[in-house]
Amino acid sequence: MIVPIGPVHPGLKEPLRLKLQLEGEKVVKAEIDYGYVHRGIEKIMEGKTWQKCIYLAERVCGICSYEHTQTFAEVLEHMAGVDVPPRAQFLRVLTNELDRIQSHYIANSTFFKAMDHEMLFMKVLELREYIMDSIELLTGNRVNMGWNVVGGVRMDANEEHFDKILENLKVVEENHDRVVELFSEGPVLALRSKGVGYMSKEEALKGRAVGPIGRASGLKHDCREFHPTYKDYFDFKPIWRKEGDNYARTMNRFDEIPQSIDLIKQAINNMPEGEFRTPVEIKTGYNECRNEAPRGEVKYMCETNGNLIKHISIRTPSIPNIDSCAKYMLVDVPTVADAIATYTSCDPCIACAERVQLTDTVTNKTVIKDLDSFY
Amino acid sequence: MLDRLKDIVRKTSINVCIVNCGGCNGCDIELVACLSPRYDLEQYGIYLQNNPRDADVLLLTGAVTEQWEDKLHRIYTKVPEPKVVLAVGNCPQSGDVFAQEGGRVSAPASNFIPVDAEVCGCPPRPDEIISAVLAVVPKAMVAKGHENKKIKDNDS
Repeated sequence: MIVPIGPVHPGLKEPLRLKLQLEGEKVVKAEIDYGYVHRGIEKIMEGKTWQKCIYLAERVCGICSYEHTQTFAEVLEHMAGVDVPPRAQFLRVLTNELDRIQSHYIANSTFFKAMDHEMLFMKVLELREYIMDSIELLTGNRVNMGWNVVGGVRMDANEEHFDKILENLKVVEENHDRVVELFSEGPVLALRSKGVGYMSKEEALKGRAVGPIGRASGLKHDCREFHPTYKDYFDFKPIWRKEGDNYARTMNRFDEIPQSIDLIKQAINNMPEGEFRTPVEIKTGYNECRNEAPRGEVKYMCETNGNLIKHISIRTPSIPNIDSCAKYMLVDVPTVADAIATYTSCDPCIACAERVQLTDTVTNKTVIKDLDSFY
Repeated sequence: MLDRLKDIVRKTSINVCIVNCGGCNGCDIELVACLSPRYDLEQYGIYLQNNPRDADVLLLTGAVTEQWEDKLHRIYTKVPEPKVVLAVGNCPQSGDVFAQEGGRVSAPASNFIPVDAEVCGCPPRPDEIISAVLAVVPKAMVAKGHENKKIKDNDS
């Protein structure tokens, strides 16, 4: 039997079509249809200056909106050979980690919502509001911040901001362990997520899983390791697990939050004085840049002509993650309810995934026929 | 008597369905933040249903993309009467940054379905969304209920 789910469905937040093939209630295979949120951002960017494009880069994805602007700015900075002032680099790390915490919290809260555990959903969202307050205080907006510019950051921050952020982080730190304990020690949630949606390291490599999803399967890949600012000034080690199930993915995201808090504290304690923005003269050329967004690796490939952008191509982490979810995780899942939980555990962000047209390269026998063939 | 009872029920129990017809997720996560204990949408009797057949209110986010052009009206017809459509964010009103040359969006959403109210912002804050829903939806539900009844009476 084939159960189609979506595009508008109580279990899904974003428009996407899941086709589950069932044997009894066991999910044997799954197929995913994209294409509902394709807006053509890369095409709009062509022939425009960076001042216009940076707002478009921000709106590739609303949840990890910060990392997209930073990567876009770094592409053009590296191309021009300009080093951003250290204070701007530290402020970028600070905002990046705040964004990562809120993104991980919302990813886990939607996972708990998919598991029908309202209490943890509320508890996690309550903690997230403290981080959103900090982001709003620092940048002036909650979601689309407009904080990065090519050559630095838009505004400077002062001691008052840092004190308030540290105060908010203290509240989060105090309550974080309790929330994690509710998940990991609770018999209902932990048992329902252990061993479900398993993906091995080889499968993660084949599916090119990145970010917390890859790291939960044992791939020790974190782009922050190679990032110049993190490498030079920060004490940082990637967190990874080897179980590769829903439990590991959720716990990996939970474990990264104290690490991010630690990085924010390092940034605030060692914040250098000086300029926060330098002028950058954009030249003709080609460059690419990678960064670690909350969901994994973001890559920008950019070609410029004068100060106009000739061609840009964006690789977001959600595409390989959702792909590996459909191919490897949604195989032999006990029930349909668990299938939706597995799908949300891979932290899908459809808005990210929808700037390219994906073609199915499966040429061997496909068991699932297209739904239209049944009519 | 029955009408008044219906009015009270319509005012106090509002089921909301979010339809993301091609946005950046920014508005969607602000709608999720509305559920958080700080803003607590449910204290006003508003429930997130996400099933068009059970909903009273459609919350539209996002500029209408190519895939959604026909589907949007299909979802609209599935919502039982009386129904209210609320456009959240700049995208369903004007297309925001995507309404430029090269963009594959066909905003505004009012080309496809009747939109009753709009909340501006990219994205609007959760308290703005809640105050907009509370200001518009209860009155509109009652008014539309009466309107539908009149049409029915005239037909019979």
